[in-house]
Amino acid sequence: MALFGRRNILLALLLLGAAAPFFVNSYQLFVANLIVVFVLLSIGLNILVGYAGQLAFANAAMFGIGAYGTGLLQVHFGLPFWMAFPLGAVIATSVGLAISLPALRVSGLYLALSTLAFAEFTRWVFLHWESVTFGAGGFKTPPVSFEPLPVSKPVGLYYLSLILATVLVVLAQNLVRSRIGRAFVAVRDGEVAAESLGIDLLRYKALAFGISGFYAGIAGGLYSAMLNYVSPEGYDLFQMVLHKAMIVVGGIASIGGSVLGAFAVVALLEGLREVKGVQEIAFGAILVVFILFMPGGIAAFLRRKVRGWDEPVHRAGPPPNPDPAAAARPASEAARP
Amino acid sequence: MVLQQAWKAGTAGILMAASFAATGWAQVPGVTADTIKIGTFGALTGPGYLYGKLPMNGIEVVFDEINAAGGIHGRKLQLVREDDRCDPASAIGAVKKLIHQEQVFAMIGGGCSNATFAARETIDEAKVPLIVMASVHDGITTPTPPTIFSTATTSGIESAAQLQYAIDQGAKRIAIVSMRDSWGRARYNPLVEAFKTKNIKPVADEELSPDANDATAQVLRLKMTNADAVIMLLYPKPAAVFMRDAQKLGFKPLAIGQTGIADPAAFEEQVGSPGATAKFRTISMVRYTPQDPAVDKWRKAIETKFPGDRLSVFNLFGIGSAQVMVEVLRRAGPELTREKLVAALNGLKDFQTDVYPGPITCSETDHRCHKTPAWLAKDPGGPVRVLGATKVE
Amino acid sequence: MLLLSYLLLSGVTTGALYALVALGIVVVNKATGVINFAHGELFMFSGFVAWSLHVGAGLAYPIALPLAVAAGFALGVATDRIAFRPLMKADVISLVLATVGIAFVLRGVARVIWGGKADYLAFPPITSPEPVMLGEIMVIPQQLAVLGGAIVVMLIFAAFFRLTRAGKMMQATADNAKAATLVGIRTERIYTLSFGTGAAIAAAAAVLMAPLTLLYPDMGFAFFIKGFAAAVLGGLTSLPGAVLGGLTIGVIEALAGGYIHSSFIEVSAFVVIMIVLIVRPTGLLGVSRVRRV
Repeated sequence: MALFGRRNILLALLLLGAAAPFFVNSYQLFVANLIVVFVLLSIGLNILVGYAGQLAFANAAMFGIGAYGTGLLQVHFGLPFWMAFPLGAVIATSVGLAISLPALRVSGLYLALSTLAFAEFTRWVFLHWESVTFGAGGFKTPPVSFEPLPVSKPVGLYYLSLILATVLVVLAQNLVRSRIGRAFVAVRDGEVAAESLGIDLLRYKALAFGISGFYAGIAGGLYSAMLNYVSPEGYDLFQMVLHKAMIVVGGIASIGGSVLGAFAVVALLEGLREVKGVQEIAFGAILVVFILFMPGGIAAFLRRKVRGWDEPVHRAGPPPNPDPAAAARPASEAARP
Repeated sequence: MVLQQAWKAGTAGILMAASFAATGWAQVPGVTADTIKIGTFGALTGPGYLYGKLPMNGIEVVFDEINAAGGIHGRKLQLVREDDRCDPASAIGAVKKLIHQEQVFAMIGGGCSNATFAARETIDEAKVPLIVMASVHDGITTPTPPTIFSTATTSGIESAAQLQYAIDQGAKRIAIVSMRDSWGRARYNPLVEAFKTKNIKPVADEELSPDANDATAQVLRLKMTNADAVIMLLYPKPAAVFMRDAQKLGFKPLAIGQTGIADPAAFEEQVGSPGATAKFRTISMVRYTPQDPAVDKWRKAIETKFPGDRLSVFNLFGIGSAQVMVEVLRRAGPELTREKLVAALNGLKDFQTDVYPGPITCSETDHRCHKTPAWLAKDPGGPVRVLGATKVE
Repeated sequence: MLLLSYLLLSGVTTGALYALVALGIVVVNKATGVINFAHGELFMFSGFVAWSLHVGAGLAYPIALPLAVAAGFALGVATDRIAFRPLMKADVISLVLATVGIAFVLRGVARVIWGGKADYLAFPPITSPEPVMLGEIMVIPQQLAVLGGAIVVMLIFAAFFRLTRAGKMMQATADNAKAATLVGIRTERIYTLSFGTGAAIAAAAAVLMAPLTLLYPDMGFAFFIKGFAAAVLGGLTSLPGAVLGGLTIGVIEALAGGYIHSSFIEVSAFVVIMIVLIVRPTGLLGVSRVRRV
């Protein structure tokens, strides 16, 4: 294993993350927690878009459903966070499974629009179903307590997020190298061919949507606890753009890249606080420059320059085709008539 | 020997006192011998910038004026801006950064209601004084927070005034048309409460989106209910669309605006349909419209510092809240602490600014310091008239 | 009955706004197969440019309009050079995101230049501002101008694609870029031309619509979403489809608002889109490109 290979770098990041609460201030801890939550979102979306090749625009809505689910179960049914949180993720997963149905009929830009329409519909429900969601004003969630552990809420939540993220990153790594991951890639690279190989499109598309819904749901639950507040603004199309930016910047169809992409985008957003008033311009320009000069994102760059960043879809050995750009290209042709 | 010892002790004493004084200053974040760091947060980007960036520009010109005159007790004011994009998470991040990283002494800020409301918890915990410049959500100041004060008319006050005005004008059948976003809901919910308190029911309750380009359906539905007054909880754009379509469809109720449409002259131009604004009245947090000669000084300041800009009511929101901040900083004295600033705010009585219609009064138990919104009207082709101010108790 | 006719008419006039935006999206998509997510911002930016020329600098309308359209064309060409041409081989998400990046830049620049002038800039209408009677119904003349504009643009471009060499080359490129290159069409030029043309349509649309919609830095996205929806509903590559899609969305919104409640206006279009795409995945007038195996 190369010294600066993927595993070592991710491990170093994890160690840094674990030590962070001992030397950062409360603002930096907040940002660190934000990064961890976005890592989850980034991975979930990358499995759906990068691996399974489904150009979906509903990730922000799933994130919202996780947050609302977790928050509302606590507020309406008095459930403790420990129960509401997993249930929220289950709700997001089932909605993810449900929206995979249109994906069987449409693909490419049509899928983009139908999922976008679904996301707008979800936001409409958040805004209008006032007796349940409290409408546009949002609602406060009860503060999470980590008793009897001797940690404050922000620190406890940070470690909870970090542990979950670590587990889910490892899980995702293994998933994309399993039969399921390879089936996703086959669906992405050609539905007809995949079907002729005996891959059940319905099953694998639904699975990809479900998994991304689950990751987004977990992220949403953590996010609601972080803010102690849930309102519709957080789950709009800007949020969606951030998610897309994370996987493109990090590297499409790369788990390591998703992690780095989340770091990069949150760091960029917070860093841009320094250029007051022109954040939008800087954010847009950096995004464009990045896409132009770093095709394939950070992951592809590292694969070219540093040893140990290949992410084979098989456990044994490197892939027969070492061209990293080819490995990182989803079914764009399918989307372009 | 004795002399030497005494001298030593004396120096030590002075040194100790000096270092004590130095640590004394260091214990007050954001204050040095010649500067005070004030933070501000609101939307610098995204549609909410009207309630963020523009009031901040107003604060900036007030600070410039004070600094040019030598500052407050010899200290110059520094303004640190943070963007919250109108997003609750981003607002929490912005406030945490101002408090823990920038180490500001106090803040003037808050543009979007939900964002400021979400950030309240962080501010309450850190006990940093904040003067709210534009957010109106009642939850920001009720129940009374330890260190947050509002110089914006809170939505509860605004709603009560709107309804009272409609009743005073003899309206019997009052309807609501509102935007269903956090901005609109922060005003809508207290308005519905105000209706309940008066024991009347709105005859219709319609919705219009912030980006709406047509209000035919809404106008027709309101017309069928024979509403004689419509309270519009709308941004200027949808409100203009509504007024235009109402004119087109021959629906002419008393139309009551909210504090975001505080410039009836600009609004008449936005509606663009001759005579459509004849029965339009709006409530305003500030007494003057930007064309008023009374605010000449500030128009000049804004237009010099931000070339290409025109003075707007949003700038005035910032100017008013900054003037209050300057006053309480002065009252808190040269030995500045956050506690003293909060005490000065709690004791602020009948303070007149250049922009607000009435005096600013805060108290221990009520941090909603601005309770006198003004009423403005403009006859088509005529000048803007101030119809008077409503004092809400 | 009067209620219904009022609602239908308002649906058609609002739908015409969406249709005008959709036409530009379709022209770009027809040749390049991508969606320019900055289309709404190109529309907004050109509108502000027109405002600066017409209201700011006091230029007469017949001079300001062509200048604004030219500015739109230039912006479109710039979009092509920055965010499309270098990325032709990239995946579709990178392409989408690059145009999103351009959208952010344009919005930010517009906020810096025009954001401090007013909350919403008013633009004087080309027609009389007084409503006129159309049968039993009152209409604002500018709304009819927008509807007329949408139809004129549609006819011009339908003719352009059918009758001119450039138009035919654009269609050939869209059909099969490789084959088009083989027969000597310089496809890169065609792409540039179509981005420019799409943005020029956006500019013309902005000038026509600004008196009704007012100008503000964040207006682009709302129009883009509706225009995108209209374009997809019409099949993405069909010009009459774009107009039909726009009008359909406008009418659905008006009817939902009038007969159910105004709170259903915003969501009705999206619900219809979800249903249409599930039932007819290629839109109303789209050609099915599914390969049978």
